[in-house]
Amino acid sequence: MTASHEIETRLRETAERLLGEKKVDLFLGHEKASLPLRTTPLFLTVAADAARLAWNPFCSPNLAVYLPRLFRAPADAREAKTAPPRPTVGVVLKGCDARSVVALIQEHQLPRDKLVLVGIACPGMVDARKAERVLGLHEALGAGEDAHGNIRAVVEDGTEVTLRREQVLADVCLECRAPTPSICDIVLGAAVEPREAHVARRQAEELESRPADARWAHFQQMMSKCIRCNACRQACPMCYCKDCLLDQTRPRWVGAGTDFSDVAIYHLARAFHMAGRCTACGACARACPMGLDVRLLVRKLNLEVEDLYGYRPGEAVDATPPLSAFAMDDPQEFLTEP
Amino acid sequence: MSQTQIVPEAAAPRTWEPKVVAFLCNWCSYAGADLAGVSRIQYPPNIRIIRVPCSGRINPVFLLRALQSGADAVLVSGCHPGDCHYISGNLAARRKFTLFRDLLKYVGIEPERVQFTWVSASEGGRFASVVEKVVEQARKLGPNTKLVKRA
Repeated sequence: MTASHEIETRLRETAERLLGEKKVDLFLGHEKASLPLRTTPLFLTVAADAARLAWNPFCSPNLAVYLPRLFRAPADAREAKTAPPRPTVGVVLKGCDARSVVALIQEHQLPRDKLVLVGIACPGMVDARKAERVLGLHEALGAGEDAHGNIRAVVEDGTEVTLRREQVLADVCLECRAPTPSICDIVLGAAVEPREAHVARRQAEELESRPADARWAHFQQMMSKCIRCNACRQACPMCYCKDCLLDQTRPRWVGAGTDFSDVAIYHLARAFHMAGRCTACGACARACPMGLDVRLLVRKLNLEVEDLYGYRPGEAVDATPPLSAFAMDDPQEFLTEP
Repeated sequence: MSQTQIVPEAAAPRTWEPKVVAFLCNWCSYAGADLAGVSRIQYPPNIRIIRVPCSGRINPVFLLRALQSGADAVLVSGCHPGDCHYISGNLAARRKFTLFRDLLKYVGIEPERVQFTWVSASEGGRFASVVEKVVEQARKLGPNTKLVKRA
């Protein structure tokens, strides 16, 4: 594992060079946020500002979410005439973010030739909520990383608390299969060992072993906390549709309120839309103000896609997503026969 | 009230009868249902048919919406694999429905509430027996309470 500050220095140099040499018009990265344990997205257009870029264990935001809107196709011929030329964009990508970019290129949402992808081999990002839970009644005023990769937090009375890294890593990071980005033009840091998605599988199997009514009760209990703010959808890099089915009012497919039936349908529909597309970046879970496990359903669907169709999202640009493909001999045991 | 709402039967029905919404593709299954009618094959009247261009046209949200609006079961039927009017619409649909059914099962909704089958234009008899089976299973499950929206 390369030390974060070394990567940070090289990242700043890279961004400065790319912007200075006019290789990119815009550079997306992370910046120190006003709160500890977090960072905020940074949009750079001037080389001189490159020193604002940060790389630390809190760079969890998935910057891929900002990309599709920069390359949205003009609505009609008139708009095409007046549209400004498409920018060249440099972007910092962790393993998961790179998977999102791969999936977006697959779905023709991003032009590869307009992107300069700066990948960073990612040792996993801190889940700020987990860290806050571990700190308990103490409030972090500042946070950093020690030489062993553990998290050091300064709390309100000035004492320093060390949090074990594994203890506060985000759930998605604990089972990241590709922490080292694959398609990038520039990769910073030494490759990081991939992990396996055992936890997801165990969790799915555990839930499946319960009777149907218990599963429903579990789903109901968890999702009834949902306030339908749609933050999980907004945060998702794969949710780029201009007009979302869930927003349509004529007909209104899904009610906008918190009636449980609408909440359930929202989460079922969202999860289904993500099947074979979710790149497991955890943006939805981070965005959820109620702290719901919004990935519950899509985790299961992605395992299903892998088992049935041998596909993992975001691995190869030239692969066909499983729901855009078919085979004559796809399984169909579920069919109703007279 | 939107146009997709299923109007409940006047007053409280004395005995509960399952309501099944069937999405049938225009080219095979709808014609199969028509053949069943023309041939005077008897099948349960619990079914409400919605004609769609192709089974590939069906968004799973349609099925959720039907269940929410009070359907006790949903049936989707298209052309047999290889016979799709649009070459491969039903094959794409098959993958979709495989995953969708697993998803419903995972959250604890009885998978029998959402049924899929293939019926060709010449299979009036098959259509009737599929409907019989679906209605019988829906009756066994009882009223759909999990997803239905109470006003």
